[in-house]
Amino acid sequence: MKLPAFLIPPKPVYHGVMGVFTYVDDATGAVTALRGSGHRNLSIFSPVPFHDLEKAIEQGPSLVRWVTFVGGVTGITGGFALCIYSVMSWPLVVGGKELISLPPFVVIGYESMILLAGIFNLLGMLALGRLPQVKSKAPYDPRFSEDKIGIWVPCAGTEATRVEQMLRGHGAEEVQVYA
Amino acid sequence: MSEHDPKLTYKSINADVLRMLEAPGPVWYAVFAFDLLVLLIGGIALRNQIVLGLGNAGYTRPVMWAAYITNFVFWVGIAHCGTLVSAILFLFRSHFRRAVYRVAEAMTVFGVLTAGLFPILHTGRPWFGYWLVPYPNQRQIWPNFRSPLEWDVFAVTTYLTVSSIFFIVGIIPDAAAARDRETNKLKKILYTVASFGWTGGNNQWKHFYGAYLYFAAIATPLVLSVHSVVSWDFAMAQNPGWHSTIFAPYFVAGAIFSGVALVINLLVVIRKAFKLEHIVTIDHMEKLSKLVLLTSTIVGYSYLTEFFCAWYGPSKYERDLFVQRFFGHFWWASWIMFSCNVIFPLVLWFKPIRRNMTVLFVLMLFVNVGMWFERFVIIVTSLARPFEPYSWGVNYKMSWTEAAITAGAFAWFFMFFLLFVKLLPAFSVAEIKETLPVPKRVKT
Repeated sequence: MKLPAFLIPPKPVYHGVMGVFTYVDDATGAVTALRGSGHRNLSIFSPVPFHDLEKAIEQGPSLVRWVTFVGGVTGITGGFALCIYSVMSWPLVVGGKELISLPPFVVIGYESMILLAGIFNLLGMLALGRLPQVKSKAPYDPRFSEDKIGIWVPCAGTEATRVEQMLRGHGAEEVQVYA
Repeated sequence: MSEHDPKLTYKSINADVLRMLEAPGPVWYAVFAFDLLVLLIGGIALRNQIVLGLGNAGYTRPVMWAAYITNFVFWVGIAHCGTLVSAILFLFRSHFRRAVYRVAEAMTVFGVLTAGLFPILHTGRPWFGYWLVPYPNQRQIWPNFRSPLEWDVFAVTTYLTVSSIFFIVGIIPDAAAARDRETNKLKKILYTVASFGWTGGNNQWKHFYGAYLYFAAIATPLVLSVHSVVSWDFAMAQNPGWHSTIFAPYFVAGAIFSGVALVINLLVVIRKAFKLEHIVTIDHMEKLSKLVLLTSTIVGYSYLTEFFCAWYGPSKYERDLFVQRFFGHFWWASWIMFSCNVIFPLVLWFKPIRRNMTVLFVLMLFVNVGMWFERFVIIVTSLARPFEPYSWGVNYKMSWTEAAITAGAFAWFFMFFLLFVKLLPAFSVAEIKETLPVPKRVKT
C-alpha cells in the first residue's frame, strides 16, 4: 500500500561536504585544519567516541549533569514534602512517634531523589542530544555505526571545492559533495 | 592494551554480536515453548489461588510470610548484579564489564519485573495492588511512610525505573547499529524506535556519556540502598533472627553474590550457543567468578557474625533461634544454605576451577540454590520460632500452588530473557569496540 503523497515527508536537502575516514589521526588532522580555516560548525559521526576528535572539536562537558542535579534536588525536596504533608494533613500519632519523624522519611526522600535524578538525566540527555531525531542534520551513512568516521562540513559553492580538497588531503577515503 | 582476540575488528564485532538477532533456530523455539509451558502451569496455580484464596498457599500461623517473600527477596537480589556491573564497575573503570554488562542489565530489569509480582501475589487480592501506590484514600489517609513496607514500594519502583532507563539508554547506539544492518522491515522499525534516531554524532556522544556517567553515579547508591531497604523489612521487626544491624550490608553482599552467579550461568550458555567465546573470553568469566568468591566470603563472614552475636549477645531467644535454625526442624535448609554459599564456593580459590566453564556453571547453580534457601531460612525459621512457645510445633510446608508459582516465576524471567537475546543486542557493540586499539594510520 502506498502512502498518499502529502504524508510522505520531503527528502531533506543538504548543503555541504561529507568526508569519510577510517583512521582517527587522519580525521583529527582534518578537523583541526577545517576549524583553523574558519569552519566551526562541523559535525563528526563515529561508531564510538574518540578522545582525539573530542579534543580537536573542543567540546566542553555535557550540561546533563546540571539537569540531573536539578532532578535530584526536586526529588529529595518532594520526597520529604510528601511525607511531611501526609502526616500533617491527618495528624495521627502512630506508635508514640513524632508526627514529623525525619529518620524514616530519609528513605523516601533518598529514593525520590534518585528516581527524579534518573528521569531528569534521561530527559536532559534526550533534549540536549536532540533525540529522538527524525531528520538528521547531515546525510547519514550506515557505515558510521560500523567502522567509519564521517566529518560533515556545511558549506556551498567554491568553498565546497576547497573543503573537498582539504578532506582528501587529510586522508579521506571518500568525499561526497552536496551542493 | 586490548583484552580481546587481536583478530577482532570494528566490523567483525558488529557482525558477531548482531548475528544473534537473526531468526531463531529450532533449539530456541523448543526452549521457549517449554518455558511457556512452565509459565502456564504457574499461571493456572495463580488462578487457583486467586479464586480459592491464600489458603491454597502453605501459610500456617505463625509462618505467614513464606515462599512468596522468599522469591521476592531472591529476585530483587538477582537484580542487583546488573547495576553492580554496569554502574559500580563503570565508576571503577573496570574494563572487563564492557563485554558482560548488557546481559547483567537485562537480568536486572527482568529480575525486578519478577520480584515485583510477589508482594502483589502475596497480598492475596492482587487486583488491589494499586493500593501500594502512595495516594490518600477516600478519607484522606495516606500510607504510613514510617513503615518499611512503604519504603520497599519506593525502593523497588525506583530501582525498576532507573535500571530500565539505564538499560534502554545503553542500547541506543547498538540499536542504531542493528537498524543499519537489518533487512526485515518490522525489525528495522523496532530498532529505529529503540535507537531514537541515533546517528553517532559528536553532540549525541557527548551527552550520552555525560548522562551515562551520572546514571552510574546515581545508580551506585541506589543499588546499595534497595537491598538495604528490603533487609529492613525484616530488621525493623523485633523477631529473633531478624532484628539485626548487620542485615543491610549482609543482604547487599548476598544480592551481588547471587546476581553475579546467575550472570555467569547465563553467559556460559550464551557464549557457547552463539559461538561468542572470543567476545566474552575466559578472562572475563574468571573475573566474574572472582567477584563471586569475594562476595561469598562476605556472606560467610556475615553468617559467622550472626552466630557469634547470637552466642555472645544477651538475648536467649536469639540464641535459641540459631540453635533451632541449624539443628531444629529446618536444619536441612540451613545446611543447604551454608554449604552452597560458603563451603562450595571455596573451590573458586583455584584458578583452573575459575576457568572451567562446566564446573563454574554447576557451581553457580549451587550458589543460586543456596541463596534461595538463605532467604527461606531467614524468613521461615524466624517466623516458625516466635517468642511464644505455643506455636513452636507448627511448621510450614510448601504447597503445590507455591511451588508452581515459584517455577512460573523462573519461567516468567526466562521468557523475557529468551526474547531479549533474539530481539536486542545482548552485548554492547559500541563499548566492546572501545576495548580495541584506536584505529590510527600512524601507529604509536
